Amino acid sequence: MRHLRRWALNGAAAVALGYILMPLVFVVWLAFFRQEIPSFPPDGYSLKWFAAILDQRKFVDGFRNSLQVGVLATAIGLALGVPAALCLARRPFRLRTPVASLLLMPLIVPGVVLGTSMYVFHVELENGLDVDVLGTFYALVAGHIVIVIPWVVRLVTASLAGLDRATEEAAQNLGANPWVTFWRITVPAIRPGIVAGALFGFVTSFGNLEMSLFLVGPGRTTLPIVILQYLEWKIDPTIAAVSVVQIVLIGGAMLITDRYVKLARVV
Amino acid sequence: MTDAALARGPVVERRRGEGWTAAALITPASIFVAFCLLAPIAILFRFSLNEFVPSKKLMVEALTVANYVKFFTDPYYTTILATTVRIAVLVTAVCLVLGFPLAYVVARTQSRFKHLLIISIVLPLFVGNAVRAAGWMTVFGNKGFFNATLMGLGVIDQPLEIMFTEKAVVIGIIAVNLPFMVLSLQSVIEGIDRSVEEAAFSLGAPPATMFRRVLWPLALPGVLAGTILTFVLAMNAYATPFLLGGPLFKMMAPLVYNQFTQQSNWPFGGAIAFILMTVTLGLTLMANVIIQRRAAR
Repeated sequence: MRHLRRWALNGAAAVALGYILMPLVFVVWLAFFRQEIPSFPPDGYSLKWFAAILDQRKFVDGFRNSLQVGVLATAIGLALGVPAALCLARRPFRLRTPVASLLLMPLIVPGVVLGTSMYVFHVELENGLDVDVLGTFYALVAGHIVIVIPWVVRLVTASLAGLDRATEEAAQNLGANPWVTFWRITVPAIRPGIVAGALFGFVTSFGNLEMSLFLVGPGRTTLPIVILQYLEWKIDPTIAAVSVVQIVLIGGAMLITDRYVKLARVV
Repeated sequence: MTDAALARGPVVERRRGEGWTAAALITPASIFVAFCLLAPIAILFRFSLNEFVPSKKLMVEALTVANYVKFFTDPYYTTILATTVRIAVLVTAVCLVLGFPLAYVVARTQSRFKHLLIISIVLPLFVGNAVRAAGWMTVFGNKGFFNATLMGLGVIDQPLEIMFTEKAVVIGIIAVNLPFMVLSLQSVIEGIDRSVEEAAFSLGAPPATMFRRVLWPLALPGVLAGTILTFVLAMNAYATPFLLGGPLFKMMAPLVYNQFTQQSNWPFGGAIAFILMTVTLGLTLMANVIIQRRAAR
């Protein structure tokens, strides 16, 4: 009877996991089809669709744009978010709770509201300042920084909470100034939080669709938008191959990060 | 998901001069988010009170709630809101039922491969909604896996219409939201001491009673966090209804997008965005109160 229950529980868990993974499994399968139409069973298998990606400039450009925006937004997000997390975790001040909610707010504001409000704001700035804002690379990056910051703040704060203040005080007692203490003691100790914050921030930025839809300019489309616009017309092995490349890259990034900081502890 | 550290607050007493350091650390990020997020939301709200001249596609400055009235008096729009809420509730319920066993197994497993299990739950989240919609399109199409298999087995003669129906959208959104539910539940279940479950069993409780009287009440914070997250995400789903629902199927987020890009109607689009946000927040708070009151009993 006990065994039976165990099997039932594991079976139910397997069904849920299978459900989560099913769309990815089928995308990967489709990428290796020989024929162009996604009909089952496939006529045969081929690798030619992966070569076909490179013939379509929009995928290569979209990938490059997403990468540039993601890297820049993550770097600036870290520069803004790590000090903020230090302050929230270490320094008492009166406005602490509202400021913490402000910095975490982008996580709960729906993507479509983020996108529309920033779009309207950019148009207003453009009219007010008489400079190009809407659709520029830097306006898109600014939007992405907003969604990177909460991940950095949340994960770095979590890792600071587990850090013993005594080590830093010892360093200061031995004559290290705050700057040296920060770089030699605090940063190494909270590295897992910084790595996790950077990874989650980057991946959030790289995969962002709803907000970016409103902010991208012509010729500066990011990869998720290219994929969405392609899928609006058709589904074929080429787009599946693009998806496979994305799955492999993100999966690889996660496996590497997992070696430094256990994902089980940060999500 | 752990926000405990943020909620608990600082442990150090104030020292002289630290106020300035604190200000220097927190100000840049706060100003940035306030400028790039709060200001735009405030402007959008202001615009939602403006008027719109459809013939010229022009926004006229005004102070009126006409856009909000228009939404709630036109059955076309209220139907879309009702569809969105119905789908979000359904999706959340299914996610809770499907997610709990998986979260429990992940939280309690002693396996060396636990991290791979977690990665396979998180990976789909990061791959993006469009890619996952592509997977479902492969399954649901007229010649897709599902129809081809059923026809091959002789169960049906004609392919079933699944693509571009509500069914496809619901199935798609469940898959998108399930990982969020599982992760929220798993982090809380992991913190529940295993010995309380064993104590219930050794006192003779059957598994169902143990679940109802011990595991469920203790896991309630995770259940709340997971249902709220799932519900909010389902209410705001864009890519899945857009790709799997087709042009005739309408949910709130695509409607907002359409008002901005196709109609250029900022006031009405802004109003819909705020209605969506308010309804989501209101229903979330309501569910919160109901669940907590039930738990207190």
